[in-house]
Amino acid sequence: MSQEDPAGENYSTTVKRNQVLHWSWESELPLECAAHFIRMRSMVDDARIPKPGFWSNWSSWEEADAQNMLGHDPLFVFPKDKLVEEGSNVTICYVSRIHQDNISCYLEGVQIYGEQLDRSVSAFELKNVSFIREKGTNVFCKVDQGGVLGGIVLFVSKVLEEPKDFSCETQDLKTLTCTWDPGSDTGLTKQPSQSYTLFESFSGKKTLCKHRNWCDWQVAQDSQETYNFTLLAENYLRKRSVSILFNLTQRVHPMTPYNLLPKNVGATKATMTWKVHSIGNNSTLLCQLELLAEGKVIQQSNVSIKVNGEYLLSELEPDTEYVARVRCAYTNHFWKWSELISQKFNTAEAAPSEAPDVWRNLKMVSGHPTVSLFWKPLSKVHANGKILFYNVIVENLDKPSRFEVLSIPAPASSTELTLDQCSYQIHVTAHNSVGPSPASVIVVSGDPENEEVEKGRVNGTEDGFSVSWKPQSGDATGYVVEWCDGPQDLPCVLQWKNLGPNTTSTVISSGDFRPGVRYNFRIYGISTKRMAHLLEKKAGYLEELAPSDNPQVVMSKLTSHSFTLSWKDYSTESQPGFIQGYHVYLKPKAGEQCHPAFEKTVLPEDSVCCKYTIDNPEQKTFVVENLQPESVYEFIVTPYTSVGEGPLDAFTKVTTPDEYSHTLIHIILPMIFCILIVMIICYLKSQWLKEKCYPDSPNPYKSSVLSLIKSKENPHLTIMYVNDCVPDAIEVINKPEGSKIQFLGTRKSPTETEFTKPACLYLLPTEKNYSGPGPCICFENFTYNQAASDFASCGHFPVTPQAPPHQLGPLTSPENLLKALEQNYMNSLGEIPAGEANLNYVSQLASPTSGDKDSLPTNPPEPALCSEYKMQTAIPLGLASAPPSENSSLSSTTLLGQGEHCR
Amino acid sequence: RQVTCPLSAPGVILGLLFLSMTATSKCLGKYHELLLQLRRQADLMQDTSTLLDPYIHIQGLDTPGLKEHCRECSGAFPSEDALRGLSRQGFLQTLNATLGLVLHRLTALYQDLPEAQQLVGLNIRGFRSNIHCMSQLLRSSSEAETPEPTQPGPGPTPPPTPPSDAFQHKLKSCRFLHGYHRFMHSVGQVLQEWGESRSRSRSRSRRHSPCRAPGDTALARPCRGGARKMWPFRRDRRLMPRGQLPR
Repeated sequence: MSQEDPAGENYSTTVKRNQVLHWSWESELPLECAAHFIRMRSMVDDARIPKPGFWSNWSSWEEADAQNMLGHDPLFVFPKDKLVEEGSNVTICYVSRIHQDNISCYLEGVQIYGEQLDRSVSAFELKNVSFIREKGTNVFCKVDQGGVLGGIVLFVSKVLEEPKDFSCETQDLKTLTCTWDPGSDTGLTKQPSQSYTLFESFSGKKTLCKHRNWCDWQVAQDSQETYNFTLLAENYLRKRSVSILFNLTQRVHPMTPYNLLPKNVGATKATMTWKVHSIGNNSTLLCQLELLAEGKVIQQSNVSIKVNGEYLLSELEPDTEYVARVRCAYTNHFWKWSELISQKFNTAEAAPSEAPDVWRNLKMVSGHPTVSLFWKPLSKVHANGKILFYNVIVENLDKPSRFEVLSIPAPASSTELTLDQCSYQIHVTAHNSVGPSPASVIVVSGDPENEEVEKGRVNGTEDGFSVSWKPQSGDATGYVVEWCDGPQDLPCVLQWKNLGPNTTSTVISSGDFRPGVRYNFRIYGISTKRMAHLLEKKAGYLEELAPSDNPQVVMSKLTSHSFTLSWKDYSTESQPGFIQGYHVYLKPKAGEQCHPAFEKTVLPEDSVCCKYTIDNPEQKTFVVENLQPESVYEFIVTPYTSVGEGPLDAFTKVTTPDEYSHTLIHIILPMIFCILIVMIICYLKSQWLKEKCYPDSPNPYKSSVLSLIKSKENPHLTIMYVNDCVPDAIEVINKPEGSKIQFLGTRKSPTETEFTKPACLYLLPTEKNYSGPGPCICFENFTYNQAASDFASCGHFPVTPQAPPHQLGPLTSPENLLKALEQNYMNSLGEIPAGEANLNYVSQLASPTSGDKDSLPTNPPEPALCSEYKMQTAIPLGLASAPPSENSSLSSTTLLGQGEHCR
Repeated sequence: RQVTCPLSAPGVILGLLFLSMTATSKCLGKYHELLLQLRRQADLMQDTSTLLDPYIHIQGLDTPGLKEHCRECSGAFPSEDALRGLSRQGFLQTLNATLGLVLHRLTALYQDLPEAQQLVGLNIRGFRSNIHCMSQLLRSSSEAETPEPTQPGPGPTPPPTPPSDAFQHKLKSCRFLHGYHRFMHSVGQVLQEWGESRSRSRSRSRRHSPCRAPGDTALARPCRGGARKMWPFRRDRRLMPRGQLPR
């Protein structure tokens, strides 16, 4: 405290004469932070002096200034290494020698703000300090620039807790063990963990405990029975204690029994033995023996023993695993059970105690009655051990001496027997290592089962199917309900339930039952002869659902006013509910009303629709009538169950034809048929027709004109040789018949023919100096040039190309000419490939070989055997009369060349 | 008030006694294998995550304003240049002595770093064993005939140091560990050079002998409080061991 701001604390005590008073006092503000002053006064405290007494005057102030003892460091922080409890308030200060204002202080890196006491000292009050780490809380101050640092570590201890659950007990009346919950550890660097001391008041002894939560105490030999213990916990800052008072014999906690063993273990009995540690002399222990099966206590027994324990366990199940466990307590004064000791053991096997539950299924396989035998595995309670195999004994009732024994290894649960028409009694027994079970007997007959029984429906509930039946007339030793667990489309897992003779209903439940699956139940009655007879059939759904699919509808008989729908393949058996009927939805064309038989309805998508209900699930055809011709309709057929109908998602479109199309079809189809017949005939006769109607090329040698000529035997008519033609110009001259004949008969040289100017069709002279009239062509084929046909008197005929010059003379006669013509033509055809023969045509443009024009008259050109007829259009006369040129000669050469390509 | 740096004269004396220490384990006879072992151990021991980092965390020094004061006390450990200036035998003696002091100091830090201290102690003992083997190897070679450099004397006995408070103790220990890791980094560097050029190192060791650096002051700012200069080697440059030392 400073003198300017004094804050004092008073302390009073009584002293005697010559006594030296020591007063230890800790300032809230560290002594180094400010000078401290003290003064004192006194008063006589004596009973002989009446009160109130009188105080003496104050002494003068004595100053304690710790700052003077500080060194020369620039910055100090106080108090150093102070130890406080969590939640305390602590005042710290710094003392600066450098007289700077820019000093900041931090608590664990977080700046703190305080009060400046003087120019070089500032104090900071840390309130409710908390424990951060065992190594202490760092508080430091530093000059903002310069790196001068000072700091302290404030050791904040957790508050020492009072020990909890302090108790003492003994296992052998020789040693007491006291335990407690110590709570938090208050250990720090500055302070060790709290220590624990055990103090017993009656004996006055105490012991420093070595452990934080337990301590041993040796029981005195002087038979001290009562103990008063005080447990003292302390650290540098605080002490805590807790006490208990007890009698030693009431705190006996026996040690765990040992050597717990089964002895003489049979199928239903076993003896357990165990030992205990003795407590004192002749002490008795109460032991509790528990027998557990599958984790549950099934037997509990108490046994008083001294050292050795033994107990016979009975009523055990064969082949069962048991756990026996034992614990003991001090009989004189029960305090605590000892820890448990456990031991597992298995009882021995015994023969199965119950006959297996057997059922059968009869069917014909390849004409032979076949029985499938099924049996359920025996429960663990009845199996009494591991079932090794099943024995099936088949006894022919018609021939009692005949037996057949089958041994089927476990875990098989079925077998199949092929029988004849006799009756058989089948015995089934289950065997384990000890022996067989009682036999299960069933009688089967080779006769086919009567399937013509009453059929019904059964309703499913949350608990399963409630199946009931009419009691069998006559004697019935029981009933069996048979069903398949899975859906119809899956392999049947045959299930059955045996029922007593007086039962006419039962609830069939199974975790495998699913909504929307049809289950079929067959109820059999068991006769006194142990033969089963089918009584009733039931079908039902655990929960009916709306159909998930619609039938595949086939549309037929479409007319302008109706069409037929059918869904014959739709199976009502495999649907998720009983099909009650069908809805036929028809979307009429706009503005059209529903037919009276239909009901107007609105579909979920707000479209209007006509609905017809078929309430017979077996009716699987429907005729939609009264439709408009040439209209588009949409329809859908959906089945419905008691829950709802199928999805209305895929309408099928259909367009009705017009009214006359039906009639037209009756006319058009035969017509098309007739045309097709004609076309086929025409095709078959096409070659013939081609020859007759339109031959490939107008072959002058095959022309009908020739036959005409022959028939008329006109000697003046002949054929023009193409090689003689110069296809440059066409000139048509009307020539009297006489000169034509003369020309033909007096053919000598080209020069002569030039002057005579016969009535010929000249074709484009190719030679410049070719002055002669040139060969000309006579268009006998009218299809090529109608104009030319008029010139029937054309006198020039081409000379046969292959005809040698010396044959020219005889050709002047028509007969020779025709012969030569035919011969040469046939020769030329013979040299042409067959495929090209029809297309070839003796070119009327072919000219003699170019470049050899001078030899033309004397050397007949090589025949252009296959010259194409390139120029079939009539050339204007003007062009034809144009003077020959080199170009035209070239053109002619080109044409010839083309003809050579075809050879 | 005067505070001494971690290493003091007794350590040097121990170092001088080192060469007479009898090796209990069999030494590797191959120079390069031994050198490789030493380098690997030096690399391991310069890793701050073995000692310094956990210490800073446990003591709560990883807060702004404190961490930057956890720097090596200048002169507390021989500088890299000083180590490089020693002969090989001198280097090994210095290294052995220094590590002996480190081991001693680590024992004092046992309460603060109970787990790390044990592991590092084993490392240091193994390293010193290898130093002993290397020293024997060098002594058996011709190099051993080279006159030993003068070892720095223990110096005057420092006045009794007043007990430092917990805060000072934390900082001093932190600086010590920082210096230790830096020193092992320097050792690794020197050993690296041994592998590179044996002859060059030998010739240099003949030229240089350790000497006190005039004007060297150990009272750098973070080591205020009278840290006494012990190692007379100038620390011309502060080597940071590959970014492993705290920033």
